[in-house]
Amino acid sequence: MERLLTQLERVNLFIGRSVAWLTLLMVLVTFAIVVLRRLDLGWIWLQESVTFMHAAVFMLGAAYTLAKEEHVRVDVFYRGASLRRRALIDAMGALLFILPVTTFLCWQSLDYVSAAWEIREGSRDAGGLAYPAVPLVKSLIPLTAVLLGIQGIVMFLRNVMLLMRTRS
Amino acid sequence: MMALVMFLAVIAIMLAGFPVAFTLAGTALLFALGGTAAGVFDPAFLGTMPNRLFGIMGNETLVAVPLFVFMGITLERARIAEDLLDTLSLLFGKQRGGLAIAVTLVGMLLAASTGIVGATVVTMGLLSLPTMLKRGYDPAVATGIISASGTLGQIIPPSIILVLLGDVLGSAYQQAQLGQGIFNPKTVSVGDLFIGALIPGLLLVALYIGWLLILAWLRPASMPPGRLEDSPPADLGSRVLRALLPPLLLIVAVLGSIITGFATPTEAAAVGAAGALTLAAIRGQLNRSRLTEIVRGTTRISSMVFLILIGASLFSLVFRGYGGDDVVRDLLTGLPGGVIGAVLVVMLVMFLLGFVLDFIEITFVVVPIVGPVLLAMGLDPVWLGIMIAINLQTSFLTPPFGFALFYLRGVAPPEVSTLAMYRGVIPFVIIQLLTLLLLAVWPAMVTWLPGVVYG
Repeated sequence: MERLLTQLERVNLFIGRSVAWLTLLMVLVTFAIVVLRRLDLGWIWLQESVTFMHAAVFMLGAAYTLAKEEHVRVDVFYRGASLRRRALIDAMGALLFILPVTTFLCWQSLDYVSAAWEIREGSRDAGGLAYPAVPLVKSLIPLTAVLLGIQGIVMFLRNVMLLMRTRS
Repeated sequence: MMALVMFLAVIAIMLAGFPVAFTLAGTALLFALGGTAAGVFDPAFLGTMPNRLFGIMGNETLVAVPLFVFMGITLERARIAEDLLDTLSLLFGKQRGGLAIAVTLVGMLLAASTGIVGATVVTMGLLSLPTMLKRGYDPAVATGIISASGTLGQIIPPSIILVLLGDVLGSAYQQAQLGQGIFNPKTVSVGDLFIGALIPGLLLVALYIGWLLILAWLRPASMPPGRLEDSPPADLGSRVLRALLPPLLLIVAVLGSIITGFATPTEAAAVGAAGALTLAAIRGQLNRSRLTEIVRGTTRISSMVFLILIGASLFSLVFRGYGGDDVVRDLLTGLPGGVIGAVLVVMLVMFLLGFVLDFIEITFVVVPIVGPVLLAMGLDPVWLGIMIAINLQTSFLTPPFGFALFYLRGVAPPEVSTLAMYRGVIPFVIIQLLTLLLLAVWPAMVTWLPGVVYG
């Protein structure tokens, strides 16, 4: 069981660590945009690509950040709580919050995303990124929900196993 | 009514300690589903969520956040802060209180970059507390100035807090004007907020240093000068130039390009990040593994910030679905004392919320709810933003619940008593309150500079 959970988590770690390099690309492209403007050159699609890279980073990095325990907590009480109590809070939170929210987002966004593919939605701005950029970016919503849901299941099962192990 | 119940419930549940982003979204979703089942909530509200989420993904202003975080992490990993502190304390070390002043200046220059309260206070604490204690500083004085200057970064541009506030206040301002039937609304930008924060931020720094000088004169034993044998090295001048000039230039370049209109905050952030990379490379601090740390750190912090924004967005959607906006408007407009009463109440509530919630949560959850109401009462959005920022900074410093104190406690050695930390920070809390009062009496201290720059 633990091996399976580790495997699932490894998927999210791999995705998060890969999209992380987009942040460097965002810095370089935006810097290039500033320089190019001095030469009176500028393309809307280039700017849009930075925005979309940014979206990909924080969406696809969300499950990775959860695996790395870096989503901020109000830890006034949590910090001092026992290991078991913390495991209980995390198991409950994963079950009651993460799983319903990711299910909801996935289910709600499916129509929204498939509509974007069907009408071959293009950029709002003239000169923006061509089809299929917009539907692709919209597809990040259900994808993120699935990845976060997987990480939520990992979080839930790990903490339940810890609770069962430490029951004395 | 249900909206207020939900608001109190979410705060109570957050205290359990589950990550804030999911607590916000999850509680709101459960309230929405329960309300739908009971027939008191219109589920059509939930249907707009994918589009709202896509709006967050396409928000160009907020692209500045990861870029500023990138710059901050790069500067941190390149050990710029350490160098700055070392050199500045060599420069001022022989004066009484010189080290404390050096800490304030480093806080001003560098705390700006990441904007996460805990991180900056911890960094400043680890960097400077041991040195100050070794020099024989009174622990109260040392911890007081570290907490205060560690939180200063929220006010001094380019802080990511101001980027987030600028974006949220921008849409609140539009909403307020549309509500009044103004269909060609004025806008407020992140740049406005940066420029408006300059004078109040520098005022705070000046008051901190002023207090340190008074203290050095009143109680010289609390801040002993450096020993005589630590005479400055011969190359002090060039060391100061080398340590101080690059980060100073970087910050001037970032702010300068925003103020002169050469670049948007997002572009300035990219220039800053590229500059920080160059700086790190010149100092030989940039290699493959450090770059990996930088991009991964940036990804985690921006994911953390934006997931809270998404959670808060679902929360405010459900809050509105329950008619919460109207409740808050009636509450605030019905207060005695008009605008002044409303501002006082909002500030007090935010101050209290600051004991349990960090800046990001308050910006995303509370400001969208109260912002449009307050702005419709005729307040200046830049002034309101700066007041909120300084108010929350004060909250983070106020014993016994202030965030900054908790974090500093975590890295302070056990011989520094918690009571001493409380004692040390109180003068700074008073300085903060005094600044708030000054800005309330003379709002021009905030609004004058943006007016000059943007005409």
